Amino acid sequence: MTVAGTLRVIDFGTAAPLRSQTYWHAVAYGVSAGAAPTLSFVQPSAPYVSIGYHRRLEEVDRATCTTNGWPVYRRMIGGGPVYLDKGQLFFQITMPMRSIPAARHRALRRLLGPAIEAFRAVGIPAVLDEHLEIVVDDRKICGYGAGQIGESAIVAGNLILDFDHRAAASILRAPSATADAELARLIGRYVAATPADPAAFKAAATDAYCRDLQLSPRDGVLNPIERDRLDELDQRFCSASWLAGSSRPDPDVWQAKIRAGVWMFAARDGDTELVVCVDNGRVLRARLQHPHLNGSRSSIETELAGLTLAEAATTLGRSGDPGTELADLFTRADPGRSL
Amino acid sequence: MSDEHNVRGFKVRLDRAYHLDFHLWVQSSEGDSVRIGMDPLGLETSGTLSQLEFAAVGTIVARGEPFGTLEAEKFVGPIRSPLSGMIVASNAEAMASPGICERDPYGEGWFVELTPFDFDGERDQLTEGTVTLVAAFAAKVDDYRRQGVLAE
Repeated sequence: MTVAGTLRVIDFGTAAPLRSQTYWHAVAYGVSAGAAPTLSFVQPSAPYVSIGYHRRLEEVDRATCTTNGWPVYRRMIGGGPVYLDKGQLFFQITMPMRSIPAARHRALRRLLGPAIEAFRAVGIPAVLDEHLEIVVDDRKICGYGAGQIGESAIVAGNLILDFDHRAAASILRAPSATADAELARLIGRYVAATPADPAAFKAAATDAYCRDLQLSPRDGVLNPIERDRLDELDQRFCSASWLAGSSRPDPDVWQAKIRAGVWMFAARDGDTELVVCVDNGRVLRARLQHPHLNGSRSSIETELAGLTLAEAATTLGRSGDPGTELADLFTRADPGRSL
Repeated sequence: MSDEHNVRGFKVRLDRAYHLDFHLWVQSSEGDSVRIGMDPLGLETSGTLSQLEFAAVGTIVARGEPFGTLEAEKFVGPIRSPLSGMIVASNAEAMASPGICERDPYGEGWFVELTPFDFDGERDQLTEGTVTLVAAFAAKVDDYRRQGVLAE
């Protein structure tokens, strides 16, 4: 990648939830219109929820959000519903589309590479794993999404200073108390905060992106095109139709991703319930409910741990009538693709 | 089975035209319509498709403007139309299960059907014909390999 010139650096500081989204979306339109590649930072002043461009609004527990006063905004880039608050510092790198590799996984590696350097520079031993997840050991330490807006490409991620696992789990609408508990447990297990000095991280990220992109840093602000876009984006993000998104079919089974490779699914049909946590294609833990399981539930749950989903369905199918019913729920799970 | 050619490791059907920059194929469909889907190089560079969304039937699109969006690797991007026209059908099954586009990109994994406004006038943007197509597709693959976009 060769982009001559400057890297505009905009530190939006602390911003209200809406602006903590619309600021960097406006930057994307500006870069698309010819502004310099831009690295930006923002920290939300209050909790809120952001949902990915394609995702179903029904995935979000709106009642919980309303009760807590957390607004919900639909962003224009990818990923799932997430909880954001002042314990997270967000960074965004925005580049002209023509300057990034055509293959998405290579573009992401290129644009996340300097962020990894920044994490390491502030003492966090982050790596980009084979799933393109930023991790320390097996725990996700940075959530990110990416997208093309106009003729610009943007990758937005975060430095998690302090993470409210309970709040993060509560914004997802789980189908049962069992699924809700497993979700909270998995988020606590697989997502970690990495406290660091935000100012040091910003400086390290600026250095790393400038070095990698061979650009010189220049402090900047929104240009007139971006300020105009900001007003339009504020209105768009607050409109009910934008928030609703496109109509998408209900999935057969409820699913949630915790980190790349780790996800869970749950299905309920009357008194029958299945809650399964999956790690790299194998059952991490299964929770079963069926009125006729009687005393065999615990042994079957133990037997399923470590099996692939197909093996687990076969094992359940062999265990008689309740198992056949549960196996059917198993086979309806999409292995994490749509998450 | 349609005539299929292996070009630098990619299966290319020769019974249709391609927009090699947008990574889409275009094939005549019923009446005046064309069917549009993603070519194998587009699938390779996108990564695992997680979400697809197409414009509603009746939407008018100009060539180069998006008729849909695609998400892969948490990266959302536009799917640009290779022709100007009106969307007359979209593949709901592909939207519900994007994996079919990877399993059967030339068949069940089609994206939309469009009635072009000026097919003959815009056809020069498409690449077709065995010799021309194979050479152009191979050149695109070679170019991507030179850039490091694809594995050697």
